[in-house]
Amino acid sequence: MKDKIQTPPTFYTRLFRWFCKEDIYDELQGDLDEEFLFNTQKLGHKKARRLYQREVIKMVRPSIIKSLNTQQLPNNHTAMFKNYTLVALRNLGRNKLFSSINIIGLAISMVVGLIAIAFITEMNSYDDFHEHGSRIYRVVNTRTPLNETSDEYATTSVLTGRRLVNDFAGFEAVAPIYRGLSGDMTQGEVTITQRGIYTSNDFFKVFSFPLISGNPATALSDPYSVVLTEETAMKLYGKTDVVGEVIEYSNGDQLKVTGVAKNPPFHSHIQFDAIGSLETLITKNSTTVTSWGNMWSSYVYVLLPEGAKPENYQASLDQLAAEENAKVNHFQVAMGFEYLSDIVPGNGKYNQMYTIMPRKNVESIAILALIVVLSACFNYTNLSIARSVKRGKEVGVRKVVGARKTHLFSQFIVEAIFVAILALVIAILLFQVVRPGFLTLNPYMDRTTRLELTPVMYLYFFGFSLTIGFLAGCVPAMLMSKLKPVSILKGISTIKSSRRLDMRKVLIGLQFTLSMGFAVLVTLASKQYKFALSYDLGFDTENVLNVNVQGNDTELLKAAFLKVPEIKGVSTASMVPSTGSTNSDYARYKDPMDSTTAYTIDIDTEYLSNMGHELLVGENFRKGETKDKIIINELMAERLKIGSPAEALGQPLYYYDQSWTIIGVVRNFHHGTVNNKVEPFAFTSGRQNHSNLNLKLVSGDITSTMSKLEAAWKEVDPLHDFSATFYDDQIERTYSDISASVKTFGMLAGIAICISILGLLGMAVYTTESRLKELTIRKVLGATVSNLVLLLSKGFMPLFIISAAIAIPAAYLMFQRTIVKYAVYKINVGIWELSGGALLVIGIAFLTIGSQAAKAAKMNPAKNLRDQ
Amino acid sequence: MKGTHLGEFQEIILLTILVLDDDAYGVTIKREINQRVKRSISRGALHTALTRLEEKGFITSEQAEGSPERGGRPKRYYTVSNRGIEAIQEAKALRDQLWSQIPKLRLQHPYAG
Repeated sequence: MKDKIQTPPTFYTRLFRWFCKEDIYDELQGDLDEEFLFNTQKLGHKKARRLYQREVIKMVRPSIIKSLNTQQLPNNHTAMFKNYTLVALRNLGRNKLFSSINIIGLAISMVVGLIAIAFITEMNSYDDFHEHGSRIYRVVNTRTPLNETSDEYATTSVLTGRRLVNDFAGFEAVAPIYRGLSGDMTQGEVTITQRGIYTSNDFFKVFSFPLISGNPATALSDPYSVVLTEETAMKLYGKTDVVGEVIEYSNGDQLKVTGVAKNPPFHSHIQFDAIGSLETLITKNSTTVTSWGNMWSSYVYVLLPEGAKPENYQASLDQLAAEENAKVNHFQVAMGFEYLSDIVPGNGKYNQMYTIMPRKNVESIAILALIVVLSACFNYTNLSIARSVKRGKEVGVRKVVGARKTHLFSQFIVEAIFVAILALVIAILLFQVVRPGFLTLNPYMDRTTRLELTPVMYLYFFGFSLTIGFLAGCVPAMLMSKLKPVSILKGISTIKSSRRLDMRKVLIGLQFTLSMGFAVLVTLASKQYKFALSYDLGFDTENVLNVNVQGNDTELLKAAFLKVPEIKGVSTASMVPSTGSTNSDYARYKDPMDSTTAYTIDIDTEYLSNMGHELLVGENFRKGETKDKIIINELMAERLKIGSPAEALGQPLYYYDQSWTIIGVVRNFHHGTVNNKVEPFAFTSGRQNHSNLNLKLVSGDITSTMSKLEAAWKEVDPLHDFSATFYDDQIERTYSDISASVKTFGMLAGIAICISILGLLGMAVYTTESRLKELTIRKVLGATVSNLVLLLSKGFMPLFIISAAIAIPAAYLMFQRTIVKYAVYKINVGIWELSGGALLVIGIAFLTIGSQAAKAAKMNPAKNLRDQ
Repeated sequence: MKGTHLGEFQEIILLTILVLDDDAYGVTIKREINQRVKRSISRGALHTALTRLEEKGFITSEQAEGSPERGGRPKRYYTVSNRGIEAIQEAKALRDQLWSQIPKLRLQHPYAG
């Protein structure tokens, strides 16, 4: 109306233009316009707009909207596809540097992706071989001791299992499992060591562990019956047809073989070499096995009827727990159901039956892989955008000849996917190389993971590479297909937009932040690892070989080992300190109310001198006179307010339910890991059995010494294998979680740095190429090579500084939060530890840029300027 | 039946086109129906019905030059074909026949019984 032109809503007009069939669009839009004008005059602008919007919305009906395939030209799909592949190949060939950067970068990161996929698939495939898997639940406990916080356990009492069978209806089958049929089994001359479980007949109803002989319904009915796995049967008898035979178990029981089961699959969280009947335990010792408090090594699995929900059975558990809790007073137990497939990967419950990969490991691998893969995608995106100027002419010509946006989009996507598939081939080869390293990354891995490549896995990999190709190619394809033919053909320089440059910078910045972050983290983690290993414990672990006694007589072993000339000293102890395990009780001096926690091990008379402990005052244990005698450390004397070491001699001490006389004081030492402080410590002698033997060796030929030691061992115990580890190796194993972090972050840092440097190289090549004329003219006018290098590198400097400013604090925070979260003793983090990694990355980056710039600057100016 | 059947809405459109004579195109048809039948229909719905009628051969259409108020966009004029006229006459005859069969009493006292 009047002088202002009233227009219909633009968005709706565009929308309509977008979805309406071409041949009827003009007529309908005309009608809409005419009516809009009429309505504006009659009803006012606002109302007219509203009516217009409603009209457009109501246009969405089959007779009006475009059908999906009218957009594409029908006949030449395959031909165009062939052409795209051909052009993609030619482009790869033409820019060998860019192509190899893209392919190698993608391949390296894909390896991480492949590992993550294989690993996650494997973890999720755990326990999926059970026929009734969807109906199996484990009963889990939450135990709250009096006045303490509660903990979650995977175990529950055997009593729960028995009462669920006897007193509660509705369960299809209930299988209680008691861990601990572990020990030697003997048949005739053959003795083997095995690990087994006790359970009932329902075990075979709940789980799909098929028997190859024996009746699953009765095999475990009688006490003292046992079902062997094929492997165990083969080891014992050399055949699997052994039902009816009798085996001697190491506790003296005569076990009758009632069945032979197939070996449990690797991907089962329940593992066993033999299955004994639970009745055996109950007939022998019914009260402790079936008491409510004994919930530390038994499990209960239930099979619910078809279609039943576990929530409906929760009431039974609650009632059972309430009844039993009422009978005890120092703890309370709450029970719940855990779905079979939720057991692996584990969610941090205590007392799992077998090593279980924690869920947080699975998650962190997935996240790290995602980061690395995205970073490589950025590279592709970046380089493709950088090169879009060169491809612009091709796009222009294609558009002029009749290609539509969708065609160009699919062309560039096809190209990216092509690159991704090439990268996949390399990545699968690399995967085979990396696999063993990954499996030994930490102790969880090789026990729970195999990373085998199955056909399904290859399918996943292929899908993964398609996704990567699409992700990486998406942005360049969008930008390229948007280019307008007119502006391209008029002149390429006009299509450079600053927005695109910014995005590229952000992407590079992100990559460098990641690289620097990982590099700093590796530096910190490896320092901490070295620190933990070389930490002065206060006693001597060098050249000490720890031998597992395996139940033999220690005196016999000592005598046998002392015959080996390379042995400097032999001592025995109840356990190995400084490797993670501890043993403690409250100790008190005269005041009964003033006690302190004191740690202890039991040793023989040679231990202190053999291990290099320094006795400050007093004397060592004497053979035969060790009863009631105790040797403490300085701190214990201090904590118990006994006074100086000299004053402590001869003083009484109450510890482990008896009183002791202090006969010596040793210098303070570390009995724990870097996660523990120095604590009060006491040595006793003759109180416990000794399970560990320390051999102090003369340094020299380890292999020949080891074979001599093994021979000495065989004299005493021909049955078991000699099992010995160097003390230093044991300490190293104690810190395997740190070493796993070092390895993981080291690998990731390597990959991240590789990828970002590749990307940067691409960018540097591109920058120098596009500024070649400028550089040459500068050179002609008198600029030196270093001037030019500086000129080109200058632009990247702020980028690196910002990246470092983000990466360093982030890495430091992560170090504090994860790697040394529980450490009491940790490294001093100085400026070099923090900036070293970042500086290294920046250094490599400048070398990359500099080499390109120098190459350009050194060229003969005449050559570059001649053909323009 | 299909192909020759005439829906109620389609019948109204045919009649409206006849009423409008040689000025029957999208906007006028819609406006006429809105005013006379007191029925608010959308242009989209109208398009669907017109397409259907044209497929059945009851109407023919012809594109014509646009006017300035519609931005010079062409309009499509509709005319009822002979088959279309036959169809509405048939429909009317059918109704008349039915009307004549109704007992008088009912009509005089619609709520009687």
